Amino acid sequence: MAATRMPGQRWYTPYLFALPALVLFGVFFAWPAVTAIQLSVLHYDVVSPPTFAGTDNFTRMLGDERFWKSLLNSVLFLVGMFPLLVVLPLLLAVLVNQKLPGIRTFRMLYYLPVVTSMVAVGVAWEYVFHQQGVLNWLLTAFGLLDQPIQYLLDPFWALPALVLVEGWKSMGFYMMIYLAGLQTIPTSLYEAAKVDGAGAWVRLRRITVPLMAPYIAVAFTMEMLDSMQAFTSIYVMTRGGPQDATLTLGYYIWSAAFEHYEMGYASAMGLVLWVLMIGMALLNHRINKGQAVVA
Amino acid sequence: MILRRAGTYILLTAIALAFVGPFLILLSAGLKPADQAVFSFPPDVIPRPPVLDWVIEAWTAIPFPHYMWNSVIYVAITVPAYLIVSALCAYPLAQMRFRGRNLIFFAILSTMFLPGEVMLIPRFMVVSQLGMADTFAGVILPGILSAFGIFLLRQTFAGVPREIVDAARTDGCHELRIFWHVMLPAARPTLAILAIFGFISVWNSFLWPLVVLKDSAKYPIALGVAYLAGITGTDVRSLAAGTILSIVPVVVVFMLMQRHVLEGMRGAVKG
Repeated sequence: MAATRMPGQRWYTPYLFALPALVLFGVFFAWPAVTAIQLSVLHYDVVSPPTFAGTDNFTRMLGDERFWKSLLNSVLFLVGMFPLLVVLPLLLAVLVNQKLPGIRTFRMLYYLPVVTSMVAVGVAWEYVFHQQGVLNWLLTAFGLLDQPIQYLLDPFWALPALVLVEGWKSMGFYMMIYLAGLQTIPTSLYEAAKVDGAGAWVRLRRITVPLMAPYIAVAFTMEMLDSMQAFTSIYVMTRGGPQDATLTLGYYIWSAAFEHYEMGYASAMGLVLWVLMIGMALLNHRINKGQAVVA
Repeated sequence: MILRRAGTYILLTAIALAFVGPFLILLSAGLKPADQAVFSFPPDVIPRPPVLDWVIEAWTAIPFPHYMWNSVIYVAITVPAYLIVSALCAYPLAQMRFRGRNLIFFAILSTMFLPGEVMLIPRFMVVSQLGMADTFAGVILPGILSAFGIFLLRQTFAGVPREIVDAARTDGCHELRIFWHVMLPAARPTLAILAIFGFISVWNSFLWPLVVLKDSAKYPIALGVAYLAGITGTDVRSLAAGTILSIVPVVVVFMLMQRHVLEGMRGAVKG
Protein backbone atom coordinates (compact mmCIF):
# COMPACT_ATOMS: atom_id res chain seq x y z
CA MET A 1 0.00 0.00 0.00
CA ALA A 2 1.44 3.26 -1.15
CA ALA A 3 -0.02 5.15 1.79
CA THR A 4 2.40 3.64 4.29
CA ARG A 5 5.44 4.08 2.12
CA MET A 6 7.97 6.21 3.90
CA PRO A 7 11.17 8.00 2.98
CA GLY A 8 13.91 5.49 2.36
CA GLN A 9 11.41 2.91 1.18
CA ARG A 10 10.95 2.62 -2.55
CA TRP A 11 8.41 0.27 -4.04
CA TYR A 12 11.04 -2.39 -4.53
CA THR A 13 12.51 -2.22 -1.01
CA PRO A 14 10.48 -5.13 0.46
CA TYR A 15 11.31 -7.30 -2.53
CA LEU A 16 15.01 -6.57 -2.16
CA PHE A 17 14.85 -7.71 1.44
CA ALA A 18 13.09 -10.92 0.47
CA LEU A 19 15.27 -11.50 -2.60
CA PRO A 20 17.87 -13.91 -1.16
CA ALA A 21 15.13 -16.09 0.32
CA LEU A 22 13.15 -15.95 -2.94
CA VAL A 23 16.18 -16.98 -5.02
CA LEU A 24 16.86 -19.92 -2.71
CA PHE A 25 13.18 -20.82 -2.86
CA GLY A 26 13.21 -20.80 -6.64
CA VAL A 27 16.42 -22.78 -7.06
CA PHE A 28 16.15 -25.34 -4.28
CA PHE A 29 12.39 -25.77 -3.85
CA ALA A 30 10.38 -24.67 -6.89
CA TRP A 31 12.76 -25.92 -9.56
CA PRO A 32 13.28 -29.34 -7.90
CA ALA A 33 9.53 -29.67 -7.37
CA VAL A 34 9.00 -29.30 -11.12
CA THR A 35 11.95 -31.61 -11.80
CA ALA A 36 10.43 -34.25 -9.52
CA ILE A 37 7.28 -34.36 -11.62
CA GLN A 38 9.26 -34.46 -14.88
CA LEU A 39 11.53 -37.25 -13.64
CA SER A 40 8.61 -39.40 -12.60
CA VAL A 41 7.58 -39.88 -16.26
CA LEU A 42 11.13 -40.63 -17.45
CA HIS A 43 13.50 -43.55 -17.50
CA TYR A 44 16.80 -42.10 -16.37
CA ASP A 45 19.90 -43.93 -15.19
CA VAL A 46 22.17 -40.84 -14.96
CA VAL A 47 24.59 -42.28 -17.56
CA SER A 48 22.48 -42.38 -20.73
CA PRO A 49 20.06 -39.60 -21.70
CA PRO A 50 16.56 -39.85 -20.22
CA THR A 51 13.77 -41.43 -22.27
CA PHE A 52 10.05 -40.86 -21.93
CA ALA A 53 8.39 -43.49 -19.82
CA GLY A 54 4.79 -42.33 -19.68
CA THR A 55 3.14 -44.04 -16.76
CA ASP A 56 5.64 -46.94 -16.73
CA ASN A 57 7.12 -45.96 -13.39
CA PHE A 58 3.71 -45.88 -11.77
CA THR A 59 2.46 -49.16 -13.25
CA ARG A 60 5.76 -50.75 -12.23
CA MET A 61 5.08 -49.70 -8.66
CA LEU A 62 1.78 -51.61 -8.67
CA GLY A 63 3.56 -54.86 -9.46
CA ASP A 64 6.64 -54.22 -7.34
CA GLU A 65 6.49 -56.37 -4.23
CA ARG A 66 9.31 -54.45 -2.59
CA PHE A 67 7.36 -51.22 -3.04
CA TRP A 68 4.35 -52.64 -1.22
CA LYS A 69 6.58 -54.15 1.43
CA SER A 70 8.26 -50.78 1.98
CA LEU A 71 4.90 -49.03 2.13
CA LEU A 72 3.71 -51.54 4.71
CA ASN A 73 6.89 -51.05 6.73
CA SER A 74 6.41 -47.28 6.65
CA VAL A 75 2.88 -47.70 7.93
CA LEU A 76 4.17 -50.01 10.66
CA PHE A 77 6.68 -47.31 11.58
CA LEU A 78 3.87 -44.81 11.79
CA VAL A 79 1.75 -47.07 13.97
CA GLY A 80 4.65 -48.14 16.17
CA MET A 81 5.86 -44.61 16.78
CA PHE A 82 2.41 -43.42 17.84
CA PRO A 83 2.62 -44.59 21.46
CA LEU A 84 6.26 -43.51 21.65
CA LEU A 85 5.80 -39.99 20.29
CA VAL A 86 2.18 -39.06 20.93
CA VAL A 87 1.22 -40.88 24.16
CA LEU A 88 4.35 -41.41 26.28
CA PRO A 89 5.72 -37.86 25.88
CA LEU A 90 2.48 -36.49 27.35
CA LEU A 91 3.00 -38.61 30.46
CA LEU A 92 6.65 -37.54 30.57
CA ALA A 93 5.61 -33.90 30.28
CA VAL A 94 3.17 -34.29 33.17
CA LEU A 95 6.00 -35.85 35.18
CA VAL A 96 8.52 -33.06 34.51
CA ASN A 97 5.94 -30.31 34.85
CA GLN A 98 6.15 -30.61 38.64
CA LYS A 99 7.91 -27.93 40.63
CA LEU A 100 10.76 -29.93 42.09
CA PRO A 101 14.39 -29.06 42.75
CA GLY A 102 16.55 -30.30 39.87
CA ILE A 103 13.65 -30.84 37.50
CA ARG A 104 15.39 -28.81 34.79
CA THR A 105 18.27 -31.27 34.83
CA PHE A 106 15.90 -34.15 34.20
CA ARG A 107 14.23 -32.29 31.33
CA MET A 108 17.67 -31.69 29.85
CA LEU A 109 18.68 -35.34 30.15
CA TYR A 110 15.44 -36.47 28.47
CA TYR A 111 16.16 -34.02 25.65
CA LEU A 112 19.75 -35.17 25.15
CA PRO A 113 19.04 -37.73 22.39
CA VAL A 114 17.22 -35.02 20.42
CA VAL A 115 20.37 -32.97 19.97
CA THR A 116 22.71 -35.84 19.15
CA SER A 117 23.08 -37.10 15.60
CA MET A 118 21.03 -40.08 14.45
CA VAL A 119 24.28 -41.71 13.36
CA ALA A 120 25.66 -41.59 16.90
CA VAL A 121 22.32 -42.76 18.30
CA GLY A 122 22.25 -45.66 15.84
CA VAL A 123 25.75 -46.75 16.79
CA ALA A 124 24.94 -46.47 20.51
CA TRP A 125 21.86 -48.66 20.15
CA GLU A 126 23.82 -51.29 18.23
CA TYR A 127 25.73 -51.78 21.49
CA VAL A 128 22.47 -51.96 23.44
CA PHE A 129 20.99 -54.51 21.00
CA HIS A 130 24.15 -56.65 20.88
CA GLN A 131 23.67 -60.34 21.55
CA GLN A 132 25.66 -59.90 24.76
CA GLY A 133 24.39 -56.38 25.25
CA VAL A 134 22.54 -54.75 28.08
CA LEU A 135 19.03 -55.26 26.66
CA ASN A 136 19.43 -59.01 26.34
CA TRP A 137 20.98 -59.12 29.79
CA LEU A 138 18.06 -57.21 31.35
CA LEU A 139 15.42 -59.34 29.61
CA THR A 140 17.10 -62.65 30.48
CA ALA A 141 17.87 -61.53 34.03
CA PHE A 142 14.19 -60.73 34.58
CA GLY A 143 13.22 -64.05 33.01
CA LEU A 144 11.45 -62.47 30.04
CA LEU A 145 13.77 -64.18 27.58
CA ASP A 146 15.35 -67.61 27.58
CA GLN A 147 17.82 -66.94 24.81
CA PRO A 148 19.46 -63.65 23.81
CA ILE A 149 18.07 -62.27 20.54
CA GLN A 150 20.03 -60.60 17.75
CA TYR A 151 17.43 -57.93 17.31
CA LEU A 152 18.85 -56.27 14.22
CA LEU A 153 19.39 -59.56 12.39
CA ASP A 154 15.98 -60.98 13.21
CA PRO A 155 13.30 -60.36 10.53
CA PHE A 156 10.64 -60.09 13.22
CA TRP A 157 12.47 -57.89 15.73
CA ALA A 158 14.47 -55.58 13.46
CA LEU A 159 11.59 -53.23 12.65
CA PRO A 160 10.33 -52.87 16.24
CA ALA A 161 13.95 -52.30 17.31
CA LEU A 162 14.31 -49.42 14.85
CA VAL A 163 10.95 -47.98 15.86
CA LEU A 164 12.17 -48.02 19.45
CA VAL A 165 15.38 -46.19 18.50
CA GLU A 166 13.64 -43.53 16.40
CA GLY A 167 10.99 -43.02 19.08
CA TRP A 168 13.56 -42.86 21.87
CA LYS A 169 15.53 -40.22 20.00
CA SER A 170 12.61 -37.84 19.46
CA MET A 171 10.62 -38.41 22.64
CA GLY A 172 12.19 -35.44 24.42
CA PHE A 173 11.19 -33.14 21.59
CA TYR A 174 7.55 -34.14 21.82
CA MET A 175 7.74 -33.91 25.60
CA MET A 176 8.77 -30.26 25.28
CA ILE A 177 5.84 -29.54 22.96
CA TYR A 178 3.48 -30.96 25.55
CA LEU A 179 5.26 -29.18 28.37
CA ALA A 180 4.64 -25.86 26.61
CA GLY A 181 0.96 -26.74 26.52
CA LEU A 182 0.78 -27.94 30.10
CA GLN A 183 2.18 -24.68 31.35
CA THR A 184 -0.83 -22.86 29.91
CA ILE A 185 -3.22 -24.86 32.11
CA PRO A 186 -3.95 -22.95 35.33
CA THR A 187 -2.92 -24.94 38.40
CA SER A 188 -6.12 -23.79 40.10
CA LEU A 189 -8.01 -26.27 37.91
CA TYR A 190 -6.03 -29.15 39.38
CA GLU A 191 -6.37 -27.82 42.90
CA ALA A 192 -10.14 -27.54 42.55
CA ALA A 193 -10.28 -31.10 41.21
CA LYS A 194 -8.16 -32.29 44.12
CA VAL A 195 -10.53 -30.65 46.58
CA ASP A 196 -13.35 -32.50 44.89
CA GLY A 197 -11.45 -35.71 45.49
CA ALA A 198 -10.29 -36.45 41.94
CA GLY A 199 -7.29 -38.79 41.82
CA ALA A 200 -4.26 -38.40 39.54
CA TRP A 201 -5.78 -40.60 36.80
CA VAL A 202 -9.08 -38.73 36.79
CA ARG A 203 -7.27 -35.40 36.68
CA LEU A 204 -5.25 -36.62 33.70
CA ARG A 205 -8.34 -37.91 31.88
CA ARG A 206 -10.69 -35.04 32.69
CA ILE A 207 -8.42 -31.99 32.70
CA THR A 208 -5.08 -32.64 31.04
CA VAL A 209 -6.09 -34.64 27.98
CA PRO A 210 -9.08 -32.46 26.92
CA LEU A 211 -7.16 -29.22 27.40
CA MET A 212 -4.15 -30.66 25.62
CA ALA A 213 -6.16 -31.79 22.60
CA PRO A 214 -4.69 -29.17 20.24
CA TYR A 215 -1.16 -30.14 21.25
CA ILE A 216 -1.95 -33.82 20.83
CA ALA A 217 -3.19 -33.03 17.32
CA VAL A 218 0.05 -31.24 16.50
CA ALA A 219 2.12 -34.06 17.95
CA PHE A 220 0.15 -36.56 15.89
CA THR A 221 0.68 -34.66 12.63
CA MET A 222 4.40 -34.34 13.34
CA GLU A 223 4.63 -37.99 14.31
CA MET A 224 3.12 -39.05 10.98
CA LEU A 225 5.49 -36.89 8.98
CA ASP A 226 8.52 -37.91 11.07
CA SER A 227 7.83 -41.61 10.90
CA MET A 228 7.30 -41.53 7.13
CA GLN A 229 10.77 -40.04 6.77
CA ALA A 230 12.80 -42.43 8.92
CA PHE A 231 16.07 -43.01 7.10
CA THR A 232 19.33 -42.54 8.97
CA SER A 233 18.64 -45.15 11.66
CA ILE A 234 17.93 -47.67 8.93
CA TYR A 235 21.02 -46.69 6.96
CA VAL A 236 23.26 -47.04 10.01
CA MET A 237 21.72 -50.09 11.65
CA THR A 238 20.12 -52.45 9.11
CA ARG A 239 20.38 -51.10 5.55
CA GLY A 240 16.78 -52.18 5.03
CA GLY A 241 17.44 -55.78 6.00
CA PRO A 242 17.18 -58.50 7.09
CA GLN A 243 15.11 -59.71 4.12
CA ASP A 244 13.68 -56.22 3.59
CA ALA A 245 12.19 -56.32 7.09
CA THR A 246 13.17 -52.68 7.67
CA LEU A 247 12.88 -51.44 4.10
CA THR A 248 10.78 -48.28 4.44
CA LEU A 249 9.51 -46.19 1.57
CA GLY A 250 12.09 -43.50 2.31
CA TYR A 251 14.94 -45.97 2.33
CA TYR A 252 13.71 -47.72 -0.82
CA ILE A 253 13.55 -44.39 -2.66
CA TRP A 254 17.10 -43.53 -1.65
CA SER A 255 18.33 -46.98 -2.56
CA ALA A 256 16.59 -47.00 -5.96
CA ALA A 257 18.02 -43.57 -6.79
CA PHE A 258 21.52 -43.66 -5.41
CA GLU A 259 22.40 -47.35 -5.35
CA HIS A 260 20.61 -48.48 -8.52
CA TYR A 261 20.42 -45.13 -10.35
CA GLU A 262 16.78 -45.53 -11.26
CA MET A 263 16.06 -41.85 -10.93
CA GLY A 264 12.71 -41.94 -12.71
CA TYR A 265 11.31 -44.82 -10.71
CA ALA A 266 12.64 -43.40 -7.45
CA SER A 267 11.10 -40.00 -8.26
CA ALA A 268 7.75 -41.58 -8.97
CA MET A 269 7.89 -43.30 -5.57
CA GLY A 270 8.94 -39.98 -4.04
CA LEU A 271 5.80 -38.38 -5.45
CA VAL A 272 3.70 -41.14 -3.93
CA LEU A 273 5.38 -40.56 -0.56
CA TRP A 274 4.73 -36.84 -0.92
CA VAL A 275 1.06 -37.30 -1.77
CA LEU A 276 0.70 -39.67 1.18
CA MET A 277 2.25 -37.19 3.57
CA ILE A 278 0.20 -34.25 2.35
CA GLY A 279 -2.92 -36.41 2.47
CA MET A 280 -2.25 -37.44 6.05
CA ALA A 281 -1.50 -33.89 7.14
CA LEU A 282 -4.72 -32.64 5.53
CA LEU A 283 -6.77 -35.48 6.98
CA ASN A 284 -5.42 -34.79 10.41
CA HIS A 285 -6.06 -31.09 10.00
CA ARG A 286 -9.65 -31.82 9.04
CA ILE A 287 -10.20 -34.06 12.02
CA ASN A 288 -8.77 -31.50 14.39
CA LYS A 289 -10.16 -28.47 12.65
CA GLY A 290 -9.68 -25.30 14.60
CA GLN A 291 -7.60 -26.99 17.24
CA ALA A 292 -4.10 -26.81 15.85
CA VAL A 293 -1.95 -24.22 17.53
CA VAL A 294 1.14 -24.47 15.36
CA ALA A 295 1.25 -23.99 11.64
CA MET B 1 4.83 -36.88 51.41
CA ILE B 2 8.57 -37.46 51.66
CA LEU B 3 8.03 -41.02 50.50
CA ARG B 4 6.04 -39.79 47.50
CA ARG B 5 8.74 -37.33 46.62
CA ALA B 6 11.40 -40.03 46.87
CA GLY B 7 9.28 -42.19 44.59
CA THR B 8 9.06 -39.36 42.05
CA TYR B 9 12.82 -38.94 42.06
CA ILE B 10 13.40 -42.67 41.65
CA LEU B 11 11.07 -42.65 38.63
CA LEU B 12 12.71 -39.52 37.19
CA THR B 13 16.16 -41.07 37.60
CA ALA B 14 15.15 -44.40 36.08
CA ILE B 15 13.79 -42.62 33.01
CA ALA B 16 16.90 -40.44 32.81
CA LEU B 17 18.98 -43.60 32.81
CA ALA B 18 16.96 -44.90 29.85
CA PHE B 19 17.77 -41.73 27.91
CA VAL B 20 21.42 -41.42 28.87
CA GLY B 21 22.22 -45.13 29.24
CA PRO B 22 23.05 -45.89 25.60
CA PHE B 23 25.55 -43.01 25.56
CA LEU B 24 27.08 -44.23 28.83
CA ILE B 25 27.47 -47.69 27.32
CA LEU B 26 29.32 -46.13 24.37
CA LEU B 27 31.49 -44.09 26.70
CA SER B 28 32.31 -47.16 28.75
CA ALA B 29 33.19 -49.22 25.68
CA GLY B 30 35.36 -46.43 24.30
CA LEU B 31 37.44 -46.22 27.46
CA LYS B 32 37.90 -49.94 28.15
CA PRO B 33 41.35 -51.48 27.85
CA ALA B 34 41.81 -54.16 25.19
CA ASP B 35 41.76 -57.02 27.69
CA GLN B 36 38.39 -56.09 29.18
CA ALA B 37 35.32 -57.49 27.41
CA VAL B 38 32.96 -54.91 25.91
CA PHE B 39 29.94 -57.19 26.14
CA SER B 40 29.21 -59.55 28.98
CA PHE B 41 26.45 -60.89 31.22
CA PRO B 42 26.13 -59.12 33.59
CA PRO B 43 27.41 -55.91 31.99
CA ASP B 44 30.80 -54.80 33.21
CA VAL B 45 30.67 -51.08 32.60
CA ILE B 46 33.49 -49.57 34.65
CA PRO B 47 36.68 -49.50 32.55
CA ARG B 48 39.63 -50.91 34.52
CA PRO B 49 41.55 -48.71 34.02
CA PRO B 50 40.10 -46.15 31.60
CA VAL B 51 42.42 -45.76 28.60
CA LEU B 52 42.56 -43.23 25.77
CA ASP B 53 44.02 -45.71 23.24
CA TRP B 54 40.74 -46.00 21.36
CA VAL B 55 40.15 -42.29 21.21
CA ILE B 56 43.57 -41.98 19.60
CA GLU B 57 42.86 -44.90 17.27
CA ALA B 58 39.53 -43.43 16.13
CA TRP B 59 41.25 -40.08 15.70
CA THR B 60 43.81 -41.62 13.33
CA ALA B 61 41.92 -44.55 11.70
CA ILE B 62 39.91 -42.04 9.66
CA PRO B 63 40.77 -38.36 9.10
CA PHE B 64 38.78 -37.54 12.19
CA PRO B 65 40.07 -34.03 12.91
CA HIS B 66 39.56 -33.21 9.24
CA TYR B 67 35.88 -34.28 9.39
CA MET B 68 35.41 -32.27 12.58
CA TRP B 69 36.93 -29.27 10.82
CA ASN B 70 34.63 -29.78 7.81
CA SER B 71 31.64 -29.75 10.14
CA VAL B 72 32.93 -26.55 11.74
CA ILE B 73 33.10 -24.97 8.27
CA TYR B 74 29.60 -26.19 7.34
CA VAL B 75 28.24 -24.70 10.56
CA ALA B 76 30.25 -21.48 10.29
CA ILE B 77 28.88 -20.75 6.81
CA THR B 78 25.37 -22.18 6.98
CA VAL B 79 24.23 -20.75 10.31
CA PRO B 80 25.08 -17.05 9.73
CA ALA B 81 23.76 -17.25 6.16
CA TYR B 82 20.56 -18.83 7.43
CA LEU B 83 20.11 -16.14 10.09
CA ILE B 84 20.69 -13.28 7.65
CA VAL B 85 18.49 -14.67 4.87
CA SER B 86 15.70 -15.46 7.33
CA ALA B 87 15.87 -12.07 9.02
CA LEU B 88 15.98 -10.16 5.73
CA CYS B 89 12.92 -12.00 4.46
CA ALA B 90 11.06 -11.78 7.78
CA TYR B 91 11.41 -8.01 8.14
CA PRO B 92 9.21 -6.89 5.21
CA LEU B 93 6.77 -9.71 5.95
CA ALA B 94 6.34 -8.36 9.47
CA GLN B 95 6.58 -4.60 9.05
CA MET B 96 5.83 -3.57 5.47
CA ARG B 97 2.79 -3.69 3.27
CA PHE B 98 3.37 -4.55 -0.34
CA ARG B 99 1.87 -6.41 -3.21
CA GLY B 100 2.59 -10.14 -3.14
CA ARG B 101 3.28 -10.29 0.56
CA ASN B 102 0.84 -13.13 1.08
CA LEU B 103 2.16 -14.91 -1.99
CA ILE B 104 5.72 -14.81 -0.64
CA PHE B 105 4.45 -15.92 2.73
CA PHE B 106 2.66 -18.93 1.26
CA ALA B 107 5.63 -19.81 -0.92
CA ILE B 108 7.79 -19.99 2.20
CA LEU B 109 5.04 -21.89 4.00
CA SER B 110 4.85 -24.43 1.18
CA THR B 111 8.48 -25.46 1.75
CA MET B 112 7.33 -27.11 4.95
CA PHE B 113 5.30 -29.44 2.79
CA LEU B 114 8.27 -30.37 0.62
CA PRO B 115 10.18 -32.58 3.05
CA GLY B 116 13.83 -33.31 2.44
CA GLU B 117 13.26 -36.96 1.66
CA VAL B 118 10.86 -36.23 -1.19
CA MET B 119 13.07 -33.47 -2.59
CA LEU B 120 16.21 -35.57 -2.34
CA ILE B 121 16.43 -36.74 -5.96
CA PRO B 122 15.18 -33.64 -7.83
CA ARG B 123 17.28 -31.38 -5.64
CA PHE B 124 20.31 -33.54 -6.33
CA MET B 125 19.56 -33.18 -10.06
CA VAL B 126 19.35 -29.40 -9.77
CA VAL B 127 22.53 -29.21 -7.72
CA SER B 128 24.30 -31.40 -10.31
CA GLN B 129 23.08 -29.21 -13.18
CA LEU B 130 24.45 -26.19 -11.36
CA GLY B 131 27.79 -27.97 -11.17
CA MET B 132 27.63 -28.09 -7.40
CA ALA B 133 27.59 -31.87 -6.91
CA ASP B 134 30.37 -32.95 -4.59
CA THR B 135 31.12 -29.39 -3.43
CA PHE B 136 30.77 -27.50 -0.16
CA ALA B 137 28.34 -25.13 -1.90
CA GLY B 138 26.15 -28.05 -2.89
CA VAL B 139 25.96 -29.19 0.72
CA ILE B 140 25.40 -25.71 2.16
CA LEU B 141 23.15 -23.71 -0.17
CA PRO B 142 19.99 -25.87 -0.16
CA GLY B 143 20.01 -25.82 3.66
CA ILE B 144 19.91 -22.05 4.10
CA LEU B 145 16.23 -21.36 3.48
CA SER B 146 14.15 -22.32 6.50
CA ALA B 147 10.47 -21.64 6.95
CA PHE B 148 10.93 -22.15 10.68
CA GLY B 149 13.49 -19.37 10.96
CA ILE B 150 11.47 -16.95 8.86
CA PHE B 151 8.30 -17.59 10.86
CA LEU B 152 9.93 -17.17 14.21
CA LEU B 153 11.66 -13.96 13.17
CA ARG B 154 8.59 -12.57 11.46
CA GLN B 155 6.74 -13.04 14.71
CA THR B 156 9.49 -11.36 16.71
CA PHE B 157 9.70 -8.42 14.30
CA ALA B 158 5.93 -8.03 14.33
CA GLY B 159 6.23 -7.54 18.09
CA VAL B 160 8.38 -4.43 17.63
CA PRO B 161 5.99 -1.49 18.20
CA ARG B 162 4.98 0.19 14.97
CA GLU B 163 5.55 3.63 16.46
CA ILE B 164 9.26 2.95 16.86
CA VAL B 165 9.56 1.83 13.25
CA ASP B 166 7.45 4.72 11.95
CA ALA B 167 9.38 7.24 14.05
CA ALA B 168 12.62 5.93 12.60
CA ARG B 169 11.13 6.14 9.11
CA THR B 170 9.92 9.74 9.49
CA ASP B 171 13.37 10.64 10.78
CA GLY B 172 14.51 9.59 7.34
CA CYS B 173 16.15 6.39 8.47
CA HIS B 174 16.96 4.07 5.61
CA GLU B 175 15.15 0.72 5.83
CA LEU B 176 18.45 -1.13 6.00
CA ARG B 177 19.43 0.98 9.01
CA ILE B 178 16.12 0.26 10.73
CA PHE B 179 16.66 -3.40 10.04
CA TRP B 180 20.17 -3.31 11.43
CA HIS B 181 19.76 -0.94 14.38
CA VAL B 182 16.17 -1.56 15.48
CA MET B 183 15.03 -4.98 14.29
CA LEU B 184 18.08 -7.17 14.78
CA PRO B 185 18.80 -5.97 18.35
CA ALA B 186 15.14 -6.52 19.23
CA ALA B 187 15.35 -10.06 17.88
CA ARG B 188 18.57 -11.01 19.64
CA PRO B 189 17.05 -13.78 21.81
CA THR B 190 15.26 -15.30 18.80
CA LEU B 191 18.44 -15.14 16.75
CA ALA B 192 20.33 -16.88 19.56
CA ILE B 193 17.81 -19.70 19.65
CA LEU B 194 17.84 -20.11 15.88
CA ALA B 195 21.64 -20.12 15.91
CA ILE B 196 21.72 -22.93 18.47
CA PHE B 197 19.12 -24.99 16.60
CA GLY B 198 20.94 -24.30 13.34
CA PHE B 199 24.24 -25.42 14.82
CA ILE B 200 22.72 -28.66 16.11
CA SER B 201 20.98 -29.47 12.86
CA VAL B 202 23.97 -28.71 10.61
CA TRP B 203 26.39 -30.59 12.86
CA ASN B 204 24.11 -33.64 12.76
CA SER B 205 23.17 -33.44 9.09
CA PHE B 206 23.59 -36.73 7.32
CA LEU B 207 21.26 -37.59 4.46
CA TRP B 208 21.87 -34.56 2.22
CA PRO B 209 25.69 -34.60 2.49
CA LEU B 210 25.54 -38.36 1.89
CA VAL B 211 23.76 -37.75 -1.41
CA VAL B 212 25.77 -34.74 -2.59
CA LEU B 213 29.28 -35.77 -1.63
CA LYS B 214 31.39 -38.39 -3.40
CA ASP B 215 34.76 -37.23 -2.12
CA SER B 216 35.18 -38.38 1.47
CA ALA B 217 37.57 -35.48 2.13
CA LYS B 218 34.52 -33.20 2.28
CA TYR B 219 32.53 -35.35 4.74
CA PRO B 220 30.98 -33.74 7.79
CA ILE B 221 31.57 -35.62 11.02
CA ALA B 222 28.27 -37.55 11.04
CA LEU B 223 29.19 -39.07 7.67
CA GLY B 224 32.68 -39.70 8.98
CA VAL B 225 31.30 -41.73 11.87
CA ALA B 226 29.02 -43.72 9.55
CA TYR B 227 32.08 -44.34 7.39
CA LEU B 228 34.05 -45.52 10.41
CA ALA B 229 31.15 -47.80 11.39
CA GLY B 230 31.08 -49.23 7.87
CA ILE B 231 34.77 -50.16 7.77
CA THR B 232 34.97 -53.86 8.50
CA GLY B 233 37.44 -54.60 11.23
CA THR B 234 36.86 -51.36 13.12
CA ASP B 235 37.25 -52.31 16.76
CA VAL B 236 34.00 -51.86 18.71
CA ARG B 237 35.96 -49.85 21.26
CA SER B 238 37.38 -47.41 18.76
CA LEU B 239 34.01 -47.01 17.03
CA ALA B 240 32.49 -46.19 20.42
CA ALA B 241 35.25 -43.71 21.19
CA GLY B 242 34.91 -42.02 17.81
CA THR B 243 31.12 -41.80 18.10
CA ILE B 244 31.31 -40.21 21.53
CA LEU B 245 33.93 -37.77 20.28
CA SER B 246 31.70 -36.76 17.37
CA ILE B 247 28.85 -35.66 19.62
CA VAL B 248 30.94 -33.82 22.22
CA PRO B 249 30.65 -30.36 20.58
CA VAL B 250 26.88 -30.58 20.26
CA VAL B 251 26.39 -31.95 23.75
CA VAL B 252 28.61 -29.25 25.26
CA VAL B 253 26.81 -26.45 23.43
CA PHE B 254 23.47 -27.93 24.41
CA MET B 255 24.42 -28.22 28.09
CA LEU B 256 25.69 -24.63 28.19
CA MET B 257 22.69 -23.28 26.33
CA GLN B 258 20.04 -25.71 27.57
CA ARG B 259 17.93 -22.98 29.12
CA HIS B 260 17.73 -21.15 25.78
CA VAL B 261 17.09 -24.32 23.82
CA LEU B 262 14.25 -25.53 26.00
CA GLU B 263 12.73 -22.06 26.49
CA GLY B 264 13.11 -21.44 22.77
CA MET B 265 11.25 -24.60 21.93
CA ARG B 266 8.43 -23.50 24.16
CA GLY B 267 8.32 -20.10 22.45
CA ALA B 268 8.30 -21.75 19.05
CA VAL B 269 5.39 -24.00 19.95
CA LYS B 270 3.34 -21.12 21.29
CA GLY B 271 3.87 -19.11 18.12
